[in-house]
Amino acid sequence: MNTPIKSLSLGILLCMGLVLLSWWNLFAWSVVPVTGLDVWHAVTAFDSQVIAQRIVIDLRLPRLLTALLVGAALAAAGTIMQGLTRNPLAAPSVLGVNAGAALGMALVSTLPAFYGAFSTSIAAMLGGGLAWLLVMLLGSAWRMGGNDQGRLVLAGVAISALCAALTKAVVIMEEDQAAGVMTWLAGSLADARWQSWSTFWPVALVGLIGALLLTPALNLLQLGEDNARNLGINLLRSKLLGSLLVLILVGATISTVGSIGFVGLIVPHIARLLMGQDFRLFLPVAMLLGAGLVTLADTLSRAITYPMETPAGAILALIGAPFFIYLVRKRTL
Amino acid sequence: MLLSGLKRVGILLIGVLLATSSYAVTVQDSKGTFTIEETPQRIVVLEFSFADALASVGVKPIGIADDKDKSRVLPEVRDIIGDWQSVGTRSQPSLEVIASLKPDLIIADISRHEAVYDDLKKIAPTLILPSRRETYEDNLKAAAIIGKAVGKESEMQARLAQHETIMSDFASKLPNNALVQFAVARADDLFLHTDDSYAGGVISRLGLQMPKTERDDTASRQTSLEQLLAVNPEYLIVGHYTQPSIIEKWQSEPLWSVLQAASNEHIYSVNPNIWARCRGVMAAEHMAQDLVNIFTEQ
Amino acid sequence: MNASRFFPLGLALLLILSIANLVFGAVSLSLEQVWQGLSVGSEQHFTVYEYRLPRIFLAILVGAGLALSGALVQGVIRNPLASPDVLGVSHGAGLAAVFYMTYFAGASTDWLPEVALAGGLVAALILWWLCGAQSSAIKLAITGVALAAFWASCIDFLMLTKPLEINNALLWLTGSLWGRGWTQLQALLPWFLLVPVALGLSKYLNLLDLGDDSATSLGVSPQVLRLVSLAIAVALTAACVSICGPIGFLGLVAPHLTRKLVGGRHQALLPATMLTGACLLLAADLAARTIDPPIELPAGILTAIIGAPYFLWLLLRMK
Repeated sequence: MNTPIKSLSLGILLCMGLVLLSWWNLFAWSVVPVTGLDVWHAVTAFDSQVIAQRIVIDLRLPRLLTALLVGAALAAAGTIMQGLTRNPLAAPSVLGVNAGAALGMALVSTLPAFYGAFSTSIAAMLGGGLAWLLVMLLGSAWRMGGNDQGRLVLAGVAISALCAALTKAVVIMEEDQAAGVMTWLAGSLADARWQSWSTFWPVALVGLIGALLLTPALNLLQLGEDNARNLGINLLRSKLLGSLLVLILVGATISTVGSIGFVGLIVPHIARLLMGQDFRLFLPVAMLLGAGLVTLADTLSRAITYPMETPAGAILALIGAPFFIYLVRKRTL
Repeated sequence: MLLSGLKRVGILLIGVLLATSSYAVTVQDSKGTFTIEETPQRIVVLEFSFADALASVGVKPIGIADDKDKSRVLPEVRDIIGDWQSVGTRSQPSLEVIASLKPDLIIADISRHEAVYDDLKKIAPTLILPSRRETYEDNLKAAAIIGKAVGKESEMQARLAQHETIMSDFASKLPNNALVQFAVARADDLFLHTDDSYAGGVISRLGLQMPKTERDDTASRQTSLEQLLAVNPEYLIVGHYTQPSIIEKWQSEPLWSVLQAASNEHIYSVNPNIWARCRGVMAAEHMAQDLVNIFTEQ
Repeated sequence: MNASRFFPLGLALLLILSIANLVFGAVSLSLEQVWQGLSVGSEQHFTVYEYRLPRIFLAILVGAGLALSGALVQGVIRNPLASPDVLGVSHGAGLAAVFYMTYFAGASTDWLPEVALAGGLVAALILWWLCGAQSSAIKLAITGVALAAFWASCIDFLMLTKPLEINNALLWLTGSLWGRGWTQLQALLPWFLLVPVALGLSKYLNLLDLGDDSATSLGVSPQVLRLVSLAIAVALTAACVSICGPIGFLGLVAPHLTRKLVGGRHQALLPATMLTGACLLLAADLAARTIDPPIELPAGILTAIIGAPYFLWLLLRMK
């Protein structure tokens, strides 16, 4: 059904759409007037005297690049998670990673005892990693035999609730911090700059390449535990590698832009719908789609309460949660 | 000596007589008419602005909802009222502690304390007025009402008139039409206080201008560097809740120098507690003094 | 421990905690002062009669109500990780409350409980409409989770676009007994007529544990039983949440703790759970008022801080 030509043309179409979207993102809904032409000039013939062009280069471009890479990273993380657990509902936000990261971040930024113990990004990664570990243990997702999808999701919800309750407890005591922490929790790209980009892209890129290399193993895993073992793949190694990749991808994202949810849940499903079950084909498409989705959300984040900004993560959650409901309804659990 | 002593006794007597005769004062508060039968002696206030209003006519509240942190009350107010009992946080004050103080007047904030208004009334007559999210004008109106309710109407009118002259005096020392923006900064975010905010009202009262923004329906708004560039004030007054704050982070960015305030080095820091939390007659004068200091030092 | 020893001990604990709640607080009283405070005109009348006493009754009712809902939901869904939260009721109530607080900032807060109650019930109806009568319990739970996620994202969106109200909203969303009194108690009481109905169901809930087939063979329709139990759980949760806000973990932890103590038979489990829930919330509220007086912490924070680690420990041992 998926002839190479069809796949190729779909890929080209997606890339073109992404370029258009990116261009739009660079100038749409600017408080300081920026036009599409300014963007063109800024990229081709940069003139540092024009404020609009400096905004494009200094603020918008790092923001766009971060959005693209964040989207790709989260989509890849979601795809790996769903492949590893063979659970269509698996995604960082569903399985507690985001809530755990939020708790870590809230702890270091509000409790004096934790001030300066870690940077907020390290705390976020630690928190997210721990939460996920717990969820996987509780949901017995490591043992591939039992295909207990409900249990995994309920474990994720319980751990998320636990982290969220503690986060709220910490935040509520520091009244003046609440708005700031809430924005961070929702995930916003407004503060993405070249500086954060320079530490973000190498890590994310390693994660993305690793994810692409893992696709053959993911394909085999879908055949079931025993079959995969018979075909000679090292189950334990693949699972550990996959989990490590997820942590790298999600951790890098969370520490750069905060906790953005639902991209990892939605995008793999759309990609699978377009490309079929082969991970080698649909993972790249998922990455492209993820990049597009986050860029779109970032553009909207400036539009909804213009001239103020709404965190992109809040918009993604509004789109993502109904999709989650749809997914649940579609499946026979 | 003797004469002035006699005079004082006389005034006291008149005061007592007035108090024991039909004192009853009626004012309008956020819930309608409020009547108090006697001059209140034991007053509990649940917001900083009310403590400021009382202190400006020399009345000492016995309890303040000060978030259990006495340093949050304006130093000038602290000097006047001496010590007080903390009654907990402003958002959820402890009703038990309020009751144990046996107050004869409670001044509460309509936005925070409406849910416990009925309970407060069981403890003591409760005057409920806007405080959180109030504008500068609202605050002066509330102060006048408080003055009347505590039996210091003429003193409060005199104090408010004095406030007007003080503020006009400060205003004459400040340049007209300078674009001034107040903001509070934390580690990861910057909030601008717009026209509608209390600080915005004080800045306008002093004849300074607030930068116009396209949408002003919120008194405080989170701002990115890009949006700050659009506002582009001549003077940026920042209250840092944390050090280092996001301003230090932004200073290292090339675009920062595009800001008028940054290129002319017109960025000043003030005490965020006094500028964003206190509110009141004396707080406004403190803020005005801060501004005059800033503008004369440069 | 068996049921015959649990109930006397639990009731004694409840009594002790109630008395402790009357005596301790930001201002500690002697037993004698408490006694005098009960009569009108005494100095401590407000503190004892108007403030602490209704709050104790509320803590008992809300604790018992949330715990009973939790036990019912866990019994029906037959998953120990389930709780009334997975039905999305508290999130729905929260969304309605936050919507009311942000868009009607000037309106009276007196209507907040009604608004929240309506929100919770509508959320349950939407879940019902999405799932229908025929869906399996686990599907119901997962759909509820997805719906709850949706409500939660709407709450976040509201709070982020109207940041000024963030604190009032957060306080409400944490759940607190602060400022609640006789009026709220009166509003809550009629809902507890559902408790005898729930207790009457306990025998049939045991059958459900044996599997749908055995229940059917004994003449009980599992679908009807599930529906009635969940409806009661929803109504109780919505009523409690509308008064005190969503108090976290009570509905999850209380049934677990009780099951460990008295076993899984619903005839004993349901009433025992109510006792446990009441004791937990009383203890949490006592701690909330006395940890750092005169600061009043929301009781919901305390139940989360106590409940979350215990729950975690339980989960890890459950494997």
